[in-house]
Order: sequence, then structure tokens, then C-alpha cells
Amino acid sequence: MRGGYVVRRLGVAMATILAIVLFNFVLFRLMPGSPERILFRGIPNVSEERLDAARARWGLDDPILPIVIDDAGIRFEAENQFFKYLVATAQGDLGFSFVARGQEVANVLAQRLWPTLLLFGLGEAIAIVVGLVLGAYSGWRRGGLVDFFGNGASLFLYATPYFLLGMVLVLLGAAVGLPTFGMLTAGASYPDVWARLTDLFAHLLLPVATVALGLIGQYAIVMRSSIVETISEDYVTTARAMGLREGRILGAHAVPNALLPTVSLIAINLGYVIAGAVTVEVVFNWPGLGTLTVEALGSRDYPVLQGVFLLLSITVVLANLLADLVYGLLDPRVRT
Amino acid sequence: MRSSIRARLAAIAATVGLILAGLAPTVAPTLAQTEPLVIRAGTDQDLQVLNPFNSILVVDFEVFTLNYDLLVNFGPDLEPVPGFAETWDVSDDGLTWTFKIREGMLWSDGEPATSEDARYTFQLALDADALSQESEDGYYLGAGYLEPYLLNAGLTAVSAPDPETLVVETAFPNTLLLQAYMPILPKHIWSSYTIDDIANYSDTPFLNEPPVVGTGPYQAVEWQAGEFIRFARNPNYWGDEGAAEEVIILTFESSDTMVQALTTGQVDYVRGVQPAQFDALANEPDIETVEGISNGYSEIAFNTKGNTEGYGGSTSALTDPAFRDALAWAVDQERLVEVTLGGYGVPGDSIVPPFHTRWYSPPENPRSFDIAEANRRLDAAGYERGGDGIRLDAEGRPITLRVTWPDSEAEHETDAQFLQEWWGELGIGVDAYQTEEGKLLEDLVPPVSGGPANFDIELWGWVGDPDPTSLLNVLRTEEIGSFSDSFWSNARYDELFLEQRAEADEDARFEMIKEMQEIAYEEAPYIIMYYDAELHAYRTDKFGGWRNQPTEGGTPLFGYGSGGYNTLTDLNAEPTPGPTDPTSPTAGPTPAPSGSGSGDGGGDSTPLILGIVGLVVVAAGALLLMRRRSAAAEDE
Amino acid sequence: MTAGVDTALGPVVAPAQPRGLRVFLRRYARRGDGMLGAVILAVFALLAIAPDLFVGPLETVVTATGQRLAPPTDGFPLGTDHVGRDVLNLTVHGARVSMIIGLLATVVTVVIGAVVGVVSGFVGGRVDGVLMRITDFFLVLPTFVLALILTPIIRDLVGSGSREILGIRMTLIVIVVVIGVTSWSSTARIIRGQTLSLRERAFVDRARVIGAGSGHIMVTHILPNVLNLIVANAVLVFAGAVLTETTLSFVGLGDPFQPSWGQLLEAARRAGAPGLGAWWDFLPPGLCIVLVVFAFTLVGAALDDLLNPRRRARA
Repeated sequence: MRGGYVVRRLGVAMATILAIVLFNFVLFRLMPGSPERILFRGIPNVSEERLDAARARWGLDDPILPIVIDDAGIRFEAENQFFKYLVATAQGDLGFSFVARGQEVANVLAQRLWPTLLLFGLGEAIAIVVGLVLGAYSGWRRGGLVDFFGNGASLFLYATPYFLLGMVLVLLGAAVGLPTFGMLTAGASYPDVWARLTDLFAHLLLPVATVALGLIGQYAIVMRSSIVETISEDYVTTARAMGLREGRILGAHAVPNALLPTVSLIAINLGYVIAGAVTVEVVFNWPGLGTLTVEALGSRDYPVLQGVFLLLSITVVLANLLADLVYGLLDPRVRT
Repeated sequence: MRSSIRARLAAIAATVGLILAGLAPTVAPTLAQTEPLVIRAGTDQDLQVLNPFNSILVVDFEVFTLNYDLLVNFGPDLEPVPGFAETWDVSDDGLTWTFKIREGMLWSDGEPATSEDARYTFQLALDADALSQESEDGYYLGAGYLEPYLLNAGLTAVSAPDPETLVVETAFPNTLLLQAYMPILPKHIWSSYTIDDIANYSDTPFLNEPPVVGTGPYQAVEWQAGEFIRFARNPNYWGDEGAAEEVIILTFESSDTMVQALTTGQVDYVRGVQPAQFDALANEPDIETVEGISNGYSEIAFNTKGNTEGYGGSTSALTDPAFRDALAWAVDQERLVEVTLGGYGVPGDSIVPPFHTRWYSPPENPRSFDIAEANRRLDAAGYERGGDGIRLDAEGRPITLRVTWPDSEAEHETDAQFLQEWWGELGIGVDAYQTEEGKLLEDLVPPVSGGPANFDIELWGWVGDPDPTSLLNVLRTEEIGSFSDSFWSNARYDELFLEQRAEADEDARFEMIKEMQEIAYEEAPYIIMYYDAELHAYRTDKFGGWRNQPTEGGTPLFGYGSGGYNTLTDLNAEPTPGPTDPTSPTAGPTPAPSGSGSGDGGGDSTPLILGIVGLVVVAAGALLLMRRRSAAAEDE
Repeated sequence: MTAGVDTALGPVVAPAQPRGLRVFLRRYARRGDGMLGAVILAVFALLAIAPDLFVGPLETVVTATGQRLAPPTDGFPLGTDHVGRDVLNLTVHGARVSMIIGLLATVVTVVIGAVVGVVSGFVGGRVDGVLMRITDFFLVLPTFVLALILTPIIRDLVGSGSREILGIRMTLIVIVVVIGVTSWSSTARIIRGQTLSLRERAFVDRARVIGAGSGHIMVTHILPNVLNLIVANAVLVFAGAVLTETTLSFVGLGDPFQPSWGQLLEAARRAGAPGLGAWWDFLPPGLCIVLVVFAFTLVGAALDDLLNPRRRARA
């Protein structure tokens, strides 16, 4: 039974990833502006010869699909963009960036990945801890002061776009002399690791605060409503009737049960968090995937955009898979 | 129980507040004692290029003139000064130039720098030109912006009879050779690459990644593409050295963070300030703002081929100079400067900006902003109004012009709104929208190069060189399919271009350039909207010796060449007693140099780390306490 | 997310009745948070319907009269922006643009979601399988990044230019479509769940017995009974749509000729307002976004409590 559930989930995730890979291919053949022309952006005097060379270099002169239909009828072309794309993608080869001086997209992504992981990992961690505690407490003491203000604040934060929060924090941060852009003081040389970390930390403060504030609201709201729902369940009522201490009920029954839907929601929410990533990073000039996305969009760097989309989609699928598996592990009812 | 948890939460909140409040002013990246003296310059342009031939943007030129010398550099007032060559001489017929290369000069890697390097570099341009003659579509080194400097000077042959002598032959006498933006490259490095690698034609393009070897004052040693380039001092530099040990050029996504970085001291110099920010910066302490005169313009460019065979314009009216002239009467340049540029710029007229004091010639019969006159001219030219008040073209179709601009120049949105208003009063519809830059570049390609020329009017700009040749070049017939984005063609203009290029006498050359400006103004393939000012700002508490280039209306950096870096002085070089250092808000002994980026005078951020660690401990402790408490309660 | 949940959906929505509406309104009126949200929304709706009434026609750079980035004064209660336009005027007109885009995007989202949900739930079998696979696929895609990529693609397909539909420029219509296409999946899931439980109900069987076709049953029997759910869901979708539009505009995909709140924020950021301390240039549109989304969330939560059959059964 258990094995069956895991296999089914894995199968769905694999199928979804495959679909994403196909979708990605189709999507980027539809992009406006021809890529070879964009390779030479800002260069007005591009010759046809040069364009041809570029097309050949980037494999853009091959037919798009293996089946070619033209005046000569229908035929099969082994050299086509689709097959090349599939083979390359399977090997983790995402092609070359058009504008980032011909670097491999995989390298560009790897470079930009860890700043984003750092920023959002920290922000998420803080938001989860604070959000869940706040939500649990508000739900438990429904109608209390913490609930009233906490819930109000949560709803407000939830309604605030990340970048607006970011702009306000830039306003405040600049006033007290906090660094408001970048991840490290550019080009600084550090006497030791300690100084480097200190610098990193100072730069992290505002963006992490933005991410955390942006997420706390959502998590607190979800946790609160889960708790509220859980404590109306029979067994909690029973426990209360039996005279168990409130703290014990909260800790042993309500929170673990409320945690389930909340955790899976956090995983599902990952896709939305990414939207925040893009704007927070832009506001703080943070050298992560978000700024990379906007830069790539601005310069129509298709291979990079394609890579970002693939990476983010697959991350979300895997996060969902993980949530499903954890859910299945904890809640025997879904395992059938 | 209830109250106790609340009290604890309140206590934690209070602690957090206290810690943050106490910490805030001390938080700053302090690298003071250990860091070399660095000048950080911020720009809103991307840093994607280290191979000079791929240069397009102003920052690209800034980067390569830090790395390399030109054969002849640009002086404080753009006059020719020694560069790679120390002296030069021209033969009586003006055709043979002899340059003396500095004796004993070394590349930054210690190899001798000789005339052979210069010969190699110039030969690259000749080779590219030869390849270009063979090929139907031409052959360009990288972006193709550099070799025209030599080719327009009529370069025909170059030789290096001895290590200190370079002989250059030109087809006609001129002074353009002394204004050539061509970096002299180290042959011992570059000659191991093919011209296709260098010109970016091959599969293995030469990117010239750090460490770069050059003879310029600073050499690129670290490059985070799209983030920053770090330059270290060239140990073998031949000229006067500036105070900065390192130069870092940074890219900013938004001018907002860039300006804040300046006010907090995280950068020392910024280019690309917005008007409102410029106003505000003028009142900041320790910051100097510079309004430079632009050597360039923003124009309303017409697709002057309209809807003729293969061209994608929407109406034949675009081809009619009288039509374009009439529209130009309904453009209030002064208003555009006031609103779009926030007053920082000059209303435009000629295709040669007033920056070129020697070459600028205001039109003899200037147009004024006069809607009634514009209407009269349209009536006279036969563009009658249709039933709905919209004027009709020669084919009897209502004229609605598509006006577009690249998303990289979003400020033209304001210009477009004005055009919509003004031309609306003439009975000309305006359909205004922004186009993604890559897409627009593609739309601008004319049929001769296999493109659609699919636009009516685009708003964009050009930036020129110390010599006006490159700006004049844009409107030549020969440039259709290349630089020309108006597809305008005028035989007299083309003829004058070649004549002025080969004219060594300045007065005679001025007369030619003047006539060219007149023709372009009359026929109006471009309506010049304005000459945008260059808005820069820099800090005055770390470096001194800022010098505008040119002295009148120039800017210290991002001008022509790297001279601006070489005159910088370290304001904190002498250990001065406290009172004489008014820039430091924190009294007491501040060790120099103050490499600290922050405006609060820096400070140790160890308290921050300690504070955060403390915070975590407190929070963890509180949680643990809560947990213990409830467990204890359970046990009771 | 799990299949088990759908069938566990509680009983019962009776076909809507006039009396039910009155009961519903009375119940709703007792919800303080819901009423607060409704009042806020009513105010913004008023502004969006007739902005000219309050602040006159939209100020453009051509008609702007103020100083550049001036703080609030008598003539300009919310100050001016970087080209001297009245921020109050822009913010009120921004309400119209933002709300209309939000509304249209909600309609697109909910229509797609409802059709997929009802068809999938009612027809079942292979159709359900395929539709739900597609739905799940869209559910996991990072929709914002998708929207970011789709916007330029669709703009190119429909052509740029200033053509207008319902008084909204084509560039913004594209945003409407993109939001709709990328955010319908959760609606479809919810509607399908409700449809599944309705399908087994007696009145549907009765209709089938008397020979009604599937399409007929879906339109006349299923749809009216999922309408409550659609409305409750639409309110939340609306909030999401306003946020997505704001974010897309913020990364430069808006239209300066019809400034939404997001576009105003973008313009303020580009002009450097936050760093200059020019709070009046970005806080008014920013707070409007927060207020509107806040209000929608309140109303949505209240409606969900009252209309979602599962919750009502428990209440």
C-alpha cells in the first residue's frame, strides 16, 4: 500500500516534469523577436552572413520539429531543434546565454541560485517559525488581543506586495545607514571570513526582513485557521472535557494536526513565493535568480529564461512531491 | 498562565526592538583598515563586455580606456595628448603620419610594449576592411563601432620600421587619425586568436576575460558579468597615477538604489541620475552634482521610405519632406526638455549637438512651435482633412502614425504623449506604444538586409565622439541596412560627408558640415527633440582632484578616456587631526584611509553579529522555557 | 490536494431561493470583518466607476500643472509625481484601471475554471482524467514566471498598438488574458469537487431520467448550485489578480498611457521616489493596493464561511 502511494506520486511528478520540459520548448519557440537578431542587439550593422553564422552556431538553422512539412511533402529530419533540446536538457545542458558573454546557462543559473536560496531560505525559515507560532497562538486564543492585532497585521501583510514592503524598508533602511543593495560590498577584500560574513549579514538584513514579513502573514493566517478548525474537532473537545491542561492540548493535539495542512500549503505556495523573489531581488539589487529573470526578460535572453523557468518549475514539482510524501507518511488516511 | 505567556512575548518583543534600535546605526560594511583605496563608480548600464570590439555602451568605452591606451589619448579638453604614442608628426602632404612610441614602456604583464603592438592593432582594422570588401554583407570587428574610426581617417597601410616608430599612411589628409577610438592591444596575447575569434564570428569568441593585459592605468582583474568589474592598478603604468589603488565599476538595476549607494558612501561616483534625484542630491552634504552637456541627441526618426516596396510604413506621407517639416512645426522642444528631462537638457535642432562648439551650426531658418503654421503647411502640401477631422494621405487614407520607442528608454513615453496631443491638433492620429528593444531592433531592419522596416516613427538617440563624423555618418545612404534607421537618402549630403572627411582645413570643413546640418534640418528625416544632459554626481569627502572633461560642460568620469581617474587625490592621505576632517560625523580617531562605505562614518559591526546571536539565543531560550513550562505543568 | 477530500465534501446546497438571499445578507451583515471589507470595496468601486467625478479627467504629462515631485500642498493634497502630475488624480484613476483589469481577469479566470471544473466533475471518466492532469499541471507551474514570459509572447501575437477593448488598451488586455490563463486551475479544482457531489444528487438523477442532455443538466442544474462557490472563489481570485497585475506592471510590463497602481509604483521607483523620501509618490497607490486586497480577503473569508457548504455544515 505504502509503496504504491509513493510510486504513484513519483510517477505523477515525473510526468509533470516531462510535461514542463515539453511546454518549455513550445513556449520559447513562440517568443517574439528572432533570437539571432537579439544576439546582436545594439549592433545595427549586422550582415546576413553574420546572422547565418549565428544561427548555425546556436542551432537555430535546424528545423524546429523532426517532422518537416513543406512543398516537398512530409519528411523526417534527424537534425532538429526538438531532439537536440531533449537530449541536451536530459544531460543538464541548457545551452549558452545570449548576452552573459556566452556562458553556459547552467553555470549562470548555478551562480545565481545560491544567493536566492540564502535569501529565501532565511526568509522562509523566519516566516515559518514566527508565522506558525503567531498563527497557533492567535487561533488558540481566538478573539484575544494577540489574535486581533496579529490577525489584522497578518491580513495586511498578506495584502502587501513584496516590492512595496521592500520599497518601504529601503526608505527606512537608508535612513539608518543599512546597506540597501547587493549581497556584498562590491569588490571588497576581507581580512578574514568573519568580516565577510559580517558584510553579508548587513546586506541580508533588509531583504530577508522583506521576505519574512511578506510570508509571515500568509503562514499565520493558514496556521490560525487550521488551529481553529482542529480545536473544534471532537477529540480536542473531549480532551478539554477530560480536563487536560490547555498547553498540553495545544502542544500534543492541536498543533501537530494543524501543522499538516499548513506544511503542505507552504510547499504548494512555493510557486507564489517565486513571484515575490523576482520583485524583492529587483528592489534590493540582489544578485539572485529574480534579478536574473528580469535581466533576461529585458534582454530577451531566451536560453536563460528557459533555464530559469525549467529550474523553478521542477523545484516546485519536487517541493509538492515532498509535501505529498510527508503528508502520506504522517496521515495514514491518504495512503490508500 | 495566560498572562505569563503574554508577558514573555512582550518581553521578547521589547528585547528585539531594543537590539534592533541599538544596532541600526552601527550596521555598515566596514572594511576600513585592510582595504586598499578604492574608487567605486556606479552606472545603470550593463557590464557585459571586456573585448573592446564588442563595445556599444558608454560604460564599455570607459572599461576599455581604463585597460588600454589609445594611440593618442584625449586630453582635458579633448585635445590630442600622448597615449601609446609619445609624439607624432605628419608629412607635408598630410598623408604619412609618424608616431614615436614611448621607449621602455611595458605591458601590465611585464612584456615590452612596442610599435609592433600598435601595428598589429591597426592591421586588424585593415584586415577586417579587406574581408568586408570580399563579403557581400561586410565584415565587422565585434559590434563594428571601432574600426570605422581608422577607416574614416582613410587608413591604407601601417608599418613598424623599428620598435619605437609607427608609420601610418592615409588616403587623404585629415585629423581624424588623432581622434581614433582604437585601443592598442598586446600582440603577444591577441595574436594567438584568429580574427574571427576576435571579431566574434567564430564558435570560440575571444572574450578577453580577466586578468586583462594592457598599458592603461588600471587592469580588469575580476568580472562578475552584469554586476561589477574590479580593476587593479597597472604596476607598469607609464603616466601620472591617481590615488585610487583599485577601480570598481558597478551596475545598478535601478537608479534609486544607485543614488542611495552614493549618499550612504557605498559608491563614490554615479552616472545616470534621474532629474528629481539630481535636484535632491544638490542639497546633500559632501556630494557634488555635475550637469554635463551631452554629445548626442534624442530624435523623432521617420521611416522615410514609408510604405514603398518592401518597407512597412503605414502611409506614403512619411516619404514627403513637406509632411515631416509640417509635423516638426508642431513639436515644442522646450516643453519636452522641461517635462521629459526635468529641465536638464537643451532643446534640439541640428544633428550635430552644440557640444561640438567648432562644428555645431544652428539652422538658418529655425522652426518655432506653431500649430497654426503646421496646419497651414499640411494644407498647402495637400493633406486634406477627412470627415472625422483626420487628414488623408495621397491615397486618400486617414493618417495615423505609429510612434514607438524601446523599453530601455522608457522616458520617451512622455514625449509620445506630447506628440499625441500636438499632432492630434493637426488631424494626425498617433498610436503610441513601447516596444521591447530586441523586437524594435528587428523591426528597424530595412528590406535590403532582409528586414521589414516595420515602423512609422521611432524615438531613440545617438551618442557621438569628440569628432562629429560618427554622428554625421548615421544619415548616409550607404548606411541603409547598417546604421541608418530613417532610410533617408540625399546625394548632396553623401557627397559632402566624403568631402568633409578628407578636409584638413577646419574652416573649409566647417562650411561642409554646416551645409550637411542644413540639409538634414530642412528634409527632417530626424526631428531632433533635445540634447539630453549627462547627470552625474560624486562624493567630495574621499577623493579630490575631480576634473571635468572637457572643462566646459564636461564630467569627471565616463567621458573620453581614463584621464579622470589619474588626477584623483586621496583626501585622507595625510594623517590630519580630528577637527580638520569635517566629513566624519563620529568624533575621535578615525584611521585613514576611510575605506568604509557608509555615510555614518562606519563602525564595527561585530555588535550586530553579537546582537543577532543574542537574539537567537533569547528566542530559543524563550521557546525552550515555554516548552519546559508546559511539560512541567503536564507532569504535575 | 488528495482525492479523498473531494468526496468528503459535506452535503448540500439547495437551489437558490429569494428567501435564502435575504437570510444570507442578514448573516453577512453580522460579520464585522466582512462588512468592513465590503465598505472599503464599495468606496473603491465608486472611485473606479466615476473617477472624473472626484478628481476630474486623468492628468497626463500634457495637462500636468504641478511642480516636479512636490510634497503635498493645498492644490495637490497628495503631492505631485516626477512630471508634475497630481498624485491624487493618478491614484483615483489608477483605481479604475486596476479594478477593471482585476475584474476582467477574474471573469476570464472564473469562466475557464468553472467550465473546466463543471465539465470535468460532471462528465467524469477519461475527460475528467485529462482535464485534471492539465489542471494539476497548471497548479504546480510557477504562474508568475509563466505570466512574465507569456505577456511578451501574446503581445507579439495580437500586435502592439493602442487599440482598445472596453476602454482598455490592448497591452493591458493581454495582461488580463495572461492572468486568466495562468490562474484558473485552483478554481477548477474547487468547482469540480462540488460538481462531483452534486452529480450524485437526486434532482440531477431526475433530470437525467426525464431525458435531459448533459449540457442542459450542467447549465440548468449544476451551474446554479455551484454559483455560490464561484462567487466566493471569485472574490479571492480578484485579490490575486490585482496583485499579479501590480507585480507585472512593477517589472515593466504595464502601460504608461493607462496607469494602474502597479504602473504608478513602477514609475515612482524609476524616478527614484523611495530614495528621495518622496513617500507621497508611491505610498498612496501602494496603500490602495493593500487596502483593496485586504478588503477582498476579508470579504472572501466571510463569503467562504457563509457559502462554502463544507464550512456551513460545520458552523
